[in-house]
This record gives sequence, C-alpha cells and structure tokens, in this order.
Amino acid sequence: MKAQSLQYQLKDSESIGEVVTALTGQFQLTGEPEKTVRHILHDSFDWRLFQSGLQLDEARGAGLHELTLRKLEDDSACETIRLEGPVAGFFHDYPPGLLRDRLATTLQMRTLLPQVEIRRRERLLRLLDGEQKTVLRIALQEQSARPPGRGEYQPMAALVRLLPVRGYDKPLAQVSRFLTAVLELKPQVDPLIVLGLSAIGRQPLDYSSKLNFNLQPLMPAGEVARQIHHTLLNTLEANLPGTRADLDSEFLHDLRVAVRRTRSALSQIKGVFPESEVEKYKERFAWIGQLTGPTRDLDVYLLGFDDYRNSLPEPYRPDLEPLHAFLQTHQKSEQRAMVRKLNSPHFHTLLKEWRAFLAAPPGTESACAHAHKPIGKLAAKRIYRTFGLVLKEGLAINPHSPPEALHELRKSCKKLRYLLEFFQSLYPEDRIKPLIKSLKGLLDNLGDYQDLEVQADKLREFAHQMVAEGEVPADTLLAMGMLVDGLLKRQQASRLVFADRFALFAGREQVAAYQTLFGPDRKKRDVAGEQA
Amino acid sequence: MRIIGVYNIKGGVGKTATAVNLAYLSAQAGLRTLVWDLDPQGAASYYFRIKPRIKGGGRKMLKGKRELDELIKGSDFDNLDLLPADFSYRNMDLMLGEAKGPVKQLLRLLRPLSQEYDRIYLDCPPSISLVSENIFRAADALMVPTIPTTLSLRTYEQMVEFLEGHKVGDVQRMPFFSMVDRRKRMHLDMIKRLPERFPELLQAHIPYASDVERMGFYRAPLGSFAPRSAAGIAYEALWRELEAALKS
Repeated sequence: MKAQSLQYQLKDSESIGEVVTALTGQFQLTGEPEKTVRHILHDSFDWRLFQSGLQLDEARGAGLHELTLRKLEDDSACETIRLEGPVAGFFHDYPPGLLRDRLATTLQMRTLLPQVEIRRRERLLRLLDGEQKTVLRIALQEQSARPPGRGEYQPMAALVRLLPVRGYDKPLAQVSRFLTAVLELKPQVDPLIVLGLSAIGRQPLDYSSKLNFNLQPLMPAGEVARQIHHTLLNTLEANLPGTRADLDSEFLHDLRVAVRRTRSALSQIKGVFPESEVEKYKERFAWIGQLTGPTRDLDVYLLGFDDYRNSLPEPYRPDLEPLHAFLQTHQKSEQRAMVRKLNSPHFHTLLKEWRAFLAAPPGTESACAHAHKPIGKLAAKRIYRTFGLVLKEGLAINPHSPPEALHELRKSCKKLRYLLEFFQSLYPEDRIKPLIKSLKGLLDNLGDYQDLEVQADKLREFAHQMVAEGEVPADTLLAMGMLVDGLLKRQQASRLVFADRFALFAGREQVAAYQTLFGPDRKKRDVAGEQA
Repeated sequence: MRIIGVYNIKGGVGKTATAVNLAYLSAQAGLRTLVWDLDPQGAASYYFRIKPRIKGGGRKMLKGKRELDELIKGSDFDNLDLLPADFSYRNMDLMLGEAKGPVKQLLRLLRPLSQEYDRIYLDCPPSISLVSENIFRAADALMVPTIPTTLSLRTYEQMVEFLEGHKVGDVQRMPFFSMVDRRKRMHLDMIKRLPERFPELLQAHIPYASDVERMGFYRAPLGSFAPRSAAGIAYEALWRELEAALKS
C-alpha cells in the first residue's frame, strides 16, 4: 500500500530549519506537531533477517507500540502488528499470520535480539493540492542511536524522507527534484539498521559461524594455523554469553562447532606447533566438547520434537506430552550444570592460556618441522591424503559391513570437510564449492545413519529414566516405542541409499577434480597444460 | 480479501456515509482497505478530497486496458485507498452489457487486488441494474442501509426477491437501520417489530445526526473528526458486527 520512499541526507540537524523554510517558500505545505519515536531494530545473532533482505522495526511512542517487518531495499512494510508487551523472541510466540510465517522461514530456531536503538524526532509536513488533499508527506528526521537500552545516544545523519501517496507521482517528482537540484541534497540509500549500527561503531553481519579466511599459498603454515585458531577462538567466545543465558540453542551449537574445528585443526595441520602443546590442548578442548554434550543432545530432541510428534498418527500425538516435559526439565538441569562448568576457573584459564599461546611471537615454533613451509603445499597434501583415506574406507564398505565401518568413514569425511573449509580460499571458488557440496551430501547420509540409531537408543534410555523417575502413562511409553520404530526404519532406509551417495561422491569426475586441485602432480600438469 | 457492497435500491439512505465510515474504521484497525466509488455522483471521492475522475474513463477500465491498480489513489489515512468515481459510470450498464459474461465483470476486475487488500468496500449507485447485479455477484456481504419506514422495507423486499430470482443466494445480506430519528414514533415502532420478520437485521443502527452531515463540511470520515459522537459510536458498533460476521 505504501510505495517506495526516498530519502536524502542533511549536513547536520541544524539545517532541518533551513530545509523547512526553503520548502515552505516553494510548496503549499501544512505541518503536524513534532513527534519523538524510539525504534528498536531486532535480528538474530547471526543476522538472518538482514541476510534475507529484511529488518524488523519496533516503534515506541506516545500511544504507539508496533512491530513492522520491512524490506531493506525500499523500506516498504511487509507486515505490521500492534504489540501489547515486549517483542517475542521466537517465531512460534507470534500469532498466526504473515509476520509469523516470514519469521519462521528466516529465523528458524534462532531468537530475535535487539541490535540497535534509535531515537528519532520527526517533523511531518504535508503537501496539499487544490482540494486540500495530502498528495505527499515529507518527514524531517533528527536521529541518534545507542546500543539497545544502555549508553549514551550517538548522533546520526539527519534525513529528509519523502513518503509518496499512491497515485500522486507528480508532486513526488517535483519535491524530489527541488531537494536535489536546488538544495543540493544527496540521496541516502542505506537502510535504517545500517545507519544506526554505524553510529555506534558496528555493522550488520559482524558475526557469522561460517569460515571465511583469505589465505595465500605462500603464507607460512604456522602463521595460517594461528589465524585459523584465532578466528575459531573468537567465534567460541562470541557465543559464550548467549550459551550461558540459553538465549537459543544455536549459541551452544556454534560454540561446539568452533571447538570441534579447533580440535580438528590441531590434529590436521601437523608439525606447526610443538607436539606436547598440541596434545595438551586437544585434550583440553575435548573436555569442552564433553561438558557441553548433554545439553546439546537434549536441545536436539527439543528442536526435533514437532517432527517426532508429527511422525505419529494423529490420535497418538498427545501421548508424547510427558516426553516433552521430561526433555524440558532435563534440558534445564543440564544447562545449569553446564553453565557452572563454563563459569569455572578451569574453563577461563583454558581460554586465556590458549589465547596467550596463539599470541606468542612468531619464531617460538621454529623447532617445528612445518611451521615455515608454505601453506599451499601443506594444505594440498593433507586434503589429498584425507581424500584418499575416505575413498579407501568408502570403497571397502559393502552391504554386509558392520555399522562401525560407516561410523569410521563419517569421521574421515568430517576431517576432509573441515580441511576443505579451512583452506577453500586457496582454490578457485567454482572448483572447490562443488566438492564441499558433494561431500556434504555424503556426510548428511552418514549422519542420518548414525544419529537416527543414537536417537533410537537414547529414546529407550529416556523411557527407562522416566519410569525410574516416577509415574509415566503406559500410552506415552507405547508412543515412544512407535518413535523408536520409526527412527530405526529411517535409519535402515538411509543405509540403503548410502551406496548411491558414495558413488556420487567417488565418481570419476570428482576424483579427477581432487587430483588436479590437490594431487602430487598438480604442478607438473599445470605447466604441461600451459605448454599445450 | 473480503468484498463488502453497500447498497440500496433507494437513494439518500446513507450508503456513501456508511461505506466511507466503515472503510475508515477498517483501515484504522490495520486492515488494508479500498473504497471503490461506483456512483457517478462521486460523493465518496468528494469525502476523500479526490477528484472524481479516472484516466481513460470507465470504458477503458472495464475493457481491461487499464489495470485498476494504476487508477487507485491514496487517501489521507493509513491503509485506506480509493478508486475514484468517474462521470462515465452513469453509462456503466451499457458498458457492462457489451462485455462477455456481463454479470461477472466487477469480480473479474477486483480479483487481482486480492493480495493487496484485506477489505474492499463498494459504494454502489441506487436502482436495480446490471451494475447492481455485478455487485451482488462480487460481494461477500451486502450492507443495506434501511430507513425504518414502510416504503424502505418494501424496497428491501424487492431486493431480496431479485437476489433469489437471480440465484445470487451466497451473498450475505446485512440490512441495518439508518437515519433513525428517535422522535418519530414510526421509526421506533419499526425498530421494535421488524427484527422478528427479518432476523438478518443487524443490532446496530445509525442515528439521524448532524455529525454525519458535517462529513461534507470536513470532507473526511466521521471517525477522523468526531469518533466519540453518537453516530461515530454507532458506526463503530456496526463495523464490529460486520467484521464478526465476515470472520464467522
């Protein structure tokens, strides 16, 4: 209903008066009383709305409290709802409707967090036609921003915004021409969230769990290893507050991924740090993996609970409610236990010492065989060798192989995936991305095969635990039995498609791609290729 | 999207005031609302200070040469737009008659707007014609302002007869008393007796009030300048009843 708006930046807030005078001299305008509205912009920790081209704007003013989902490109509103209380965190806390649907697909399991608070003083002018009808609204905005709910407001650029009225294009063009040609104002296209964050020294997308290094083949391996570990440590620490507060399950998940990647990098990038240190830190990081495991397991069941319930025939679904309550109670107590450990001196010392170790001046590892070797060579060698291992293990699997063989293969695949992700910037993007993608396909299959069985076992364990803890309705146990059955059937199904998935991964083209990118003869072939 | 026709065979019963005031309340409640001024007199357009004219005239619009979308004008109020009247609408019967499937033309034109609006109010011209038949077929609900007099009721019965005769039974008939003058014994008497005969009569009724006439002076919906007046409160009650019926 509201068309695209145009905005222009003013030199400073003092020039608002000058603009008003200039406009009044030229057009028939009427003014409305000045209004102050606070805008709090919300997004998930990893900017899922922003990445989908959206911003969520909570507006608070006299008699006004509403939430609007807007498009970044033209600030147009997708949906507005009136708020009674605070902004809800998860999509499922919203009433059914367009807003909830959009939040569900973009946020998924993530919670909304306030990112920046903007105080806006606005004077609204209305341009009238001969019938005294409003044909254009002109908003003059003086704004300042601060981190949500705390600190001093920091000044932002003042803006003139033109809010078109549908069907009245001419006055819009006239005023817009006047602002740019006569007043020489510059158009400002950045969305509000970008302007607000920039005033407080931040920018969107300042957190991502994805690895994004910019490596050069000739960089010394030791230096690269430090850079990778440093980034992983930052990710781990960035997720700590959210993990402690249990804001949503992804903080812990990202923290655990950072830990797994750290352990993998420690053992995969060999000979760059003293062996004794590597062993020590591998063990210490394994400890973080252990202490966070039980909470994550329960998070996984809670996240998948709706799917569990929906996998049962309708009449049996309510029977699962006691299981839900059980999972929630245990998640809470595991979370408390985990937070105690995350707050322990032991944990703090580990992170502190690890940071100090990474910050040690270069040269301390000169005793290590590979620290000064170029990473390009080392990376290719590791990747090629690990790929060889995956091929060997995978080809050895036949329909009668024990589950352990597939579990081992999954471990090797994970190693390969981390290596490809660490070092992807060394290779052309269009070559390496397809390799990562096909590996993910195989890993998903192996993951299903192992995780579905673990889940089935764990559900049986829960059943026993629930019986031990008190009264459980027989119907609940029966429904859980049905779940176990469903999980095992799916697990069997995933075993059947393994051969196809692996064949896709180990196809001739794939093997050739690994050979050209990482194989020992890659240099010679490159040269030969150039000559030919 | 729900389409609400505001209709009566008789003129001067408060159709335009009803369409404009209900649409205003609808927009205020956050529903994206459009008023289509189908009356060549253009009273609804006048209330919104919008010129009763559309580019290319009615014929081009009906032939689909101009999308309704391009002809819509924003009102002075959030969520509320208007499709203006045009003097050529006086010949709309003839124009509709030229088309294939003449009784379903308005519905065809309105369909593309279903993503954009939650409510569309049709301010209809009086009389029974091809235009009104189009409206009956397009609308989900038919609001019928009725002055509590014998003559008014006769025209309501004529309309019901027409609807049944032309098999447009699915439109929900929602007659209500309009321009009620509590000083007139006949009005009071009719209000008391008629609900028994016409159970579809809505509870809310709109008083005869100078505030409604002042809409022409302010050129704005009643809710924007006198929301707590007797008539303002009555329109709000009427709107709630309508919304409840649309949702059920």
